[in-house]
Amino acid sequence: MHDAAGTVSARLAATASESGLVFDEARLIRAAQQGDQDAFERLVRAYDHSVLRIAMNLLRSPEEARDVYQEAFLKVYRNLHAFRFDCSFHTWLYRIVTNICLDHLRRRKVRKEESTVVQTAEGVVDRVAQLEEGAPHADPERQMWNRELSRRIEGALCDLTPRERTVFELRHYEGLRLRAIGEIIGTTEEAAKNCLFRATQKMRVSLEAFV
Amino acid sequence: MSCAEVIRQIPLYCYGEVDSDAEERMESHFAECPMCREELARNRVFLELLDTREDARRNDDAASLLMACRTDLRQKLAEESRPPRPGLLDSLRRLAQFHIPLKVPVGAMALVALGFFGARFTPEKFGGVSASLADPTFSSVRSVEPDASGKVQISVDEVRRHMVSGRLQDPRIQELLLSAVREESNPGIRVESLGILKDSADSEEVRQTLLYVLMHDPNAGVRMKALEGLKQYAGNAAVRRTLATVLQKDDNPGVRVQAIDLLTAHHDDSLVGVLQDVVQKEDNNYVRARCSRLLEEMKASVGTY
Repeated sequence: MHDAAGTVSARLAATASESGLVFDEARLIRAAQQGDQDAFERLVRAYDHSVLRIAMNLLRSPEEARDVYQEAFLKVYRNLHAFRFDCSFHTWLYRIVTNICLDHLRRRKVRKEESTVVQTAEGVVDRVAQLEEGAPHADPERQMWNRELSRRIEGALCDLTPRERTVFELRHYEGLRLRAIGEIIGTTEEAAKNCLFRATQKMRVSLEAFV
Repeated sequence: MSCAEVIRQIPLYCYGEVDSDAEERMESHFAECPMCREELARNRVFLELLDTREDARRNDDAASLLMACRTDLRQKLAEESRPPRPGLLDSLRRLAQFHIPLKVPVGAMALVALGFFGARFTPEKFGGVSASLADPTFSSVRSVEPDASGKVQISVDEVRRHMVSGRLQDPRIQELLLSAVREESNPGIRVESLGILKDSADSEEVRQTLLYVLMHDPNAGVRMKALEGLKQYAGNAAVRRTLATVLQKDDNPGVRVQAIDLLTAHHDDSLVGVLQDVVQKEDNNYVRARCSRLLEEMKASVGTY
C-alpha cells in the first residue's frame, strides 16, 4: 500500500531530476489554460498512469477504463480554464475520474452486471481469472488458489455500494489518505472513515473463509 | 480504551488513519490484551490477502492499454481543437440576434475581423500576410472577442510544421525521437527513429525505450529494430529478462529467433529453464529446433521432468 498522490509526486520528482528538468505543475496548468497543447499533454502524461489504474481497479474492464480515461481528460481539457487552484490539481482530476467511475458502477448496478463470469462461445469464462493468465511461471496450485481468492475479492467488492467501493479502492489499492478521498468524493474525512469501516467489515465477512 | 473500541478502530489503525493519541492508546492496549492482538493480526492477514488480488491484476496489457488510451485522446483533442468552420458563421448569426443598440458596434467589430482575415489571406503582393508553402501553417479561430475600444481580440490556434535539426546528443532531439518511437502511428517513422536512437543505447532512457518497444510495439519490424539496438546490451540482466519474455511470448517467429541469438551470445545457465519451456510450448519448428540444439550444446536435457 502506498500514498498515490505521494507516488505521483515522487515519480515526477524522479523524472525531473533524471532529466534535469523542474516539474512545475502550476506553471504547466497555467500554460495549458492559455491553450498550450504541449503543456496539457505533459499534464496528461504526469497523471494518466494513475487515472487508468484507478479506472481499471474500480471497473475491472479495459474497455470501460479506456472510456473513463478519455472522458476524464476531455473534461479536464474543456474545463481547465475554470480551474482556480482552490484544491490541488490531482484532487480535482481524481474527483472527475471517480465521478465518472461511480456513474459507470451505478449504471452497472442498475443493469445488474456484477458477475465477473460471462458466457462466451468457448463456454463460461471468468473475466477476473483471465486477467491472471499473464503469470505463467506461478505453480498451478498457487494459481488456482489466487484465482479463487481473486474471484471472491471481486465478488466482495461488487457487494459494496459504489461509494463504499470507491472509498475502499482509493484507500486500499491507491493508498490515498481518507482526507484526500473525502475531498475527491465531496464528503468529510469522518464520513469517508465510516464508509471505509463499513466496506472493510463487509469485505471481512465475505472473505472470512480465507482469513 | 475498551476492547470493543479497539476492535472498531483496528481497520483504521492498520491504514494509519487514527490520530496519534488513539494510536498510542491502542498500542498500550495491544501490549496487554491477547484477544485484540489476535484480531489485529487477523486484520493484517486480511489486508495482505487483498493485496494478492492487486498482484494478480497487473499484466503487460496495461502498457498497451495506456498507449491505446493516449492515441484515442490525441485524436479526440485534435478534433476538439479544430472547430468546424460553420461554427464561426453560427457565432456571427448569433451576433445578429442582439438588440438594436448592440448591432452597430458589433457590426463594426465584425468588419474589423473581416479586414483582419482579408489581410491574413490576401496574397503578399496585395499587402496580405505571407504564407509560403515551405512553412505551412494550419490555423483555426478559437474565439473572437470585441472590446469597448473597437478592437477585436481573435484567438487563433496555429499548427506549424517546421524543421528541427541538431545532434543526437541534444536532449531536445532525443526527446523528439523517443516520442516518435513510442507514439508515432507510422511504423516507418518508428523504425527510422529507432535506427538513429539505437546508437545511443548507452543512455538509460533510450535503453528503456528500446525494451518498451520490444515488448509492446504492434509491428514486428519495429520490434526487430529494437532488438538490433539492444544487441550490445545482451549481457545486461534487465535486457536478458525482457529477451526471455520475448522468446516465450512474442507472436512473430523472426523476433523470437533474433531473441535467441541475443540471449545465447552470453553463456548463462539460467537460460536452460526458458529454453526448455520454449521447446515444450513452441509451435514453430525452426525455433523449437534452435532451442533444442542450444540445450544439447549446454548439455542440458531437452524436456523437464
